[in-house]
Amino acid sequence: MKRTQLLSATVGAGIALSLSMPSTARADDLNIVLFSMPYTQGLAKLEADFEAKTGHTANIEVIGQDVFENRITLSFTGKTGDLDVVHTPVIQVQRWIEAGWLRPITSEVDGMASKDDILAGPLDAYLVNGERYALPFFAETGMMAYRTDLLAAAGFDKAPETWEEMLEVAAAVKTDDTGALAMRVAPGQGFNMFVFPMIMRAYGGEFFADYSGGDLTPNMNTPEALKGLEVYSSLMNDFGPEGIGNFNFGEVAAAMQTGQVAMIVDGTSIAARTLDPEKSQFADKISIAAVPSGPAGRSPAIAVHGLGIPADAPSPEASFAFLEWATSEEVLTKIALSETYPDFTRASVASNADVLAKYESIHPDFLDLKVQMLGDAIGHYRPLLPQWPQIGQTVGENINAAVNGIMSNQEALATSDEDIADIMSE
Amino acid sequence: MRKNGFDLKQNAGRAMMLGFAIFTLLPIVWAIILSFRPASHLFEPIWSSPTVLTWDNFGTLARSDFPFALLNSLVTAGGATILAMLIGVPAGFALAKGRSHRKFIASWMLLLLRMAPPVGFVIPLFLLYLNIGLIDTWFGLIAAYMVLTLPLVVWSSWTSMAQVPNELIEASLLDGATLFQTFWKIVLPAARPGVVATAVLAFLIAWNDFFFALIITRSDTVTAPVAIMNFVSYATVDWGSIALASIALTLPTVPVIIFANKYIVQSLGGAVKG
Amino acid sequence: MGVQTLFQRGYNRMLLPAVVAVGVFAILPLVGMIGLAFTDFHLIKGWRGEWGLHNFMRMTQDRRFLASINVMLFLSVFGVLFQVTMGTLVAVGLEKIVPKWRFMRGIFVVPFVVPAVAVALIWLSLFTPTLSPINAFFDIFGITVPAFLTSEYGAIFAIVIADTWASFPFVMLLILAALQGISSDLEEAASIDGATKMQVFWRITLPLLKPALLMVALFRFIETLKHFPLIFIMTNGGPGRTTQATNYYAYIQTFQSSKVSYGAAIAVFLFAIAAVISFYVARANARITDA
Repeated sequence: MKRTQLLSATVGAGIALSLSMPSTARADDLNIVLFSMPYTQGLAKLEADFEAKTGHTANIEVIGQDVFENRITLSFTGKTGDLDVVHTPVIQVQRWIEAGWLRPITSEVDGMASKDDILAGPLDAYLVNGERYALPFFAETGMMAYRTDLLAAAGFDKAPETWEEMLEVAAAVKTDDTGALAMRVAPGQGFNMFVFPMIMRAYGGEFFADYSGGDLTPNMNTPEALKGLEVYSSLMNDFGPEGIGNFNFGEVAAAMQTGQVAMIVDGTSIAARTLDPEKSQFADKISIAAVPSGPAGRSPAIAVHGLGIPADAPSPEASFAFLEWATSEEVLTKIALSETYPDFTRASVASNADVLAKYESIHPDFLDLKVQMLGDAIGHYRPLLPQWPQIGQTVGENINAAVNGIMSNQEALATSDEDIADIMSE
Repeated sequence: MRKNGFDLKQNAGRAMMLGFAIFTLLPIVWAIILSFRPASHLFEPIWSSPTVLTWDNFGTLARSDFPFALLNSLVTAGGATILAMLIGVPAGFALAKGRSHRKFIASWMLLLLRMAPPVGFVIPLFLLYLNIGLIDTWFGLIAAYMVLTLPLVVWSSWTSMAQVPNELIEASLLDGATLFQTFWKIVLPAARPGVVATAVLAFLIAWNDFFFALIITRSDTVTAPVAIMNFVSYATVDWGSIALASIALTLPTVPVIIFANKYIVQSLGGAVKG
Repeated sequence: MGVQTLFQRGYNRMLLPAVVAVGVFAILPLVGMIGLAFTDFHLIKGWRGEWGLHNFMRMTQDRRFLASINVMLFLSVFGVLFQVTMGTLVAVGLEKIVPKWRFMRGIFVVPFVVPAVAVALIWLSLFTPTLSPINAFFDIFGITVPAFLTSEYGAIFAIVIADTWASFPFVMLLILAALQGISSDLEEAASIDGATKMQVFWRITLPLLKPALLMVALFRFIETLKHFPLIFIMTNGGPGRTTQATNYYAYIQTFQSSKVSYGAAIAVFLFAIAAVISFYVARANARITDA
């Protein structure tokens, strides 16, 4: 009898628990979903500031990028209407706009008093067909970091300026213990496809026959792109550290911080991490340089992230108030000072004395070099097409296969052309 | 001579078992080491700086959403197990002792449901949940996990209750007990090891799930296996926290399995012998 | 007998809740999946009204899909082979070689409860050359451990190893159970007749374990067809596409390429495989139960 009572009590409690769902967010709460990076982590700590400023409460959730992409796509598809502000990478924006998932915010942005303070490149990355769709908070470009001591020991007093020189320096610097150069190789549009086009474009390779002119015939199987891929494969395989074939940004940063490689070419936020004495064991021996160039010039990688408003957001005014606050000079400055060297997007932040002092402490030229790289970068470094996420994934797999010797370089490019043609024809 | 040869083989056998034990323990010990290593020393061998250890990862984990996600996991996996047992064990009993010409179909269906690839029906499930408002609710996830575990619960209570002698049941029924009373007072106690083992396995299946939680949870009900991925952020992979979170995710189930070990062996024995 | 018929309605009533629960939360989505497979639902473009067999026709010409089947079979065959071998060896070893090392049983059972996500993350760290203690250990002797995750078969075997680690305890528990069911009389009789331990194992014990081995192998085979977290976390399907098993490919088609219907068609294909295998498991089981 006693056991029966105990059991029914347990069962009762179980059912009661399962029915009393977690309290859903209050009506005036804003739900914001971001994926994890220094800025978003910093922003999540400032929830209380937003409430003090606007009276709205914000429920900021910072999640892993993989989880983010699934969740967002499904929220949008299902029109769940449960999001007020969403992390909007430029790379996704075309696809989301085509699907009608984002709300245009042109007049709101144009009405902002401090609009001109926002860096024009990142801001206009969200200008599609005459409408604006997001405010940027992060603009990262390509950058090189290198070990002055290791290069000097091999007889070089400065970083290589071209990819040809890079091959030479790499051959001289590589030892059994230390790789010469690390870059991302893991397959993915934000992984190897963030860095590989730097080399491909430097040699004159392109994704399409004439992107700017509107001719979107796939055109990766060219001698120029092949040369770029050969250089990339050779740099990784012949002069990279052990296990490079699966490296992603995390491993690239770690390899430099722990002295396993002499050079990296990656984004500014990764370069900054290798210069940070708290994170990097060789920070005092690391310097930075421009991304190497090639016969067709220099093409630093660029990535812009911003905040947008879902089309079905219930209270767009409140959402925009959040956007404006989260990308304001005050907030960006706060985060620039509190987090690990985020890539802010306002000129005023770059001239703030405290911010300047902080970035200069890791390297005197850091901010200047970043501005220079921003100037060299082309907006459509990764083509701004709704199909890009899919193209980037597929081509990224082919490029990764080439570097790891599963396909030949030539085959990888030929296959990529076929794949892009398939994707574009759908 | 003969004795030496025997010893040699015996020692080879022992060496093999030790080798397997090392293989089994290495990842566990490694996770424990990682969880105490500061980020600055992650990439150097532990023996070159064995004393450089830190409690920092515990703080990081405590401040993150992970403890909340563990609670969600506990509620959903626990709730699903209770529900699946409530619904599934009587069904297993009915299949074991009732008369039906469709038993073969039933057993095939149960296995098939257990084996169906979630990737296909998770989208329809998502759309269904969207329409009935179960996205990001405990109940929605509990229902999904209940279905995930129900085939196993029915199947294994079927096999363990099939071993309860018919005479026992008939005697009870002839004494005037109702069918449910017979089930509750006679069959259930007799099949206890099987029932305990079933509950443990059901809980483990729900506790381990990654895919369903990835699709049908949002911020309110995110479970621990999904939340662990939040330690992989742009620019850094927080290996220390990941290792610690992995341990935290495993620890609650270790005592359960060590306690239920013998029941599982007993009940699986039933399943194998039939 | 007569009593049973009398109580059949009671039995049916006990069966009903399970039937309803499965109907609403499992059959309904399954029907939805099959329905989707014959249409053209796209996450971004929505419905375009085409329906028919086009997704299945497409599968027959999709090189990536066909390649994914190879990967899947590779992962499953080697995974099951390793797990069943190791699980059986450990179970037999625990019973026959080191019966006194009782604590070992507790050790071997632990991986069973480590969630797949944690398994994948821990093994990813062990297979990352710059991080792994295994690489650091062999470096002392000047031996360079090859980077598993960057070569075609290396990456597949990395997943197989991680899966073996996580799943051999299941096999071990099942075989331990089966061993307890084998009467020791037969084995003793054989060794009195002069058979060595090895001979007893090969000629007596192993044949008696056969039904259990077959059952556990089939169970594990089906589970390995559903690999997700290990691939998702350890390799992302790479290097190249060499670890994109069919289940993972269905996921990529659904979520990254937004082709929900095509993904569903691939899932239907997997479902059909599961239906065939589970049919044989159910039949084998029915035979054992009836005997």
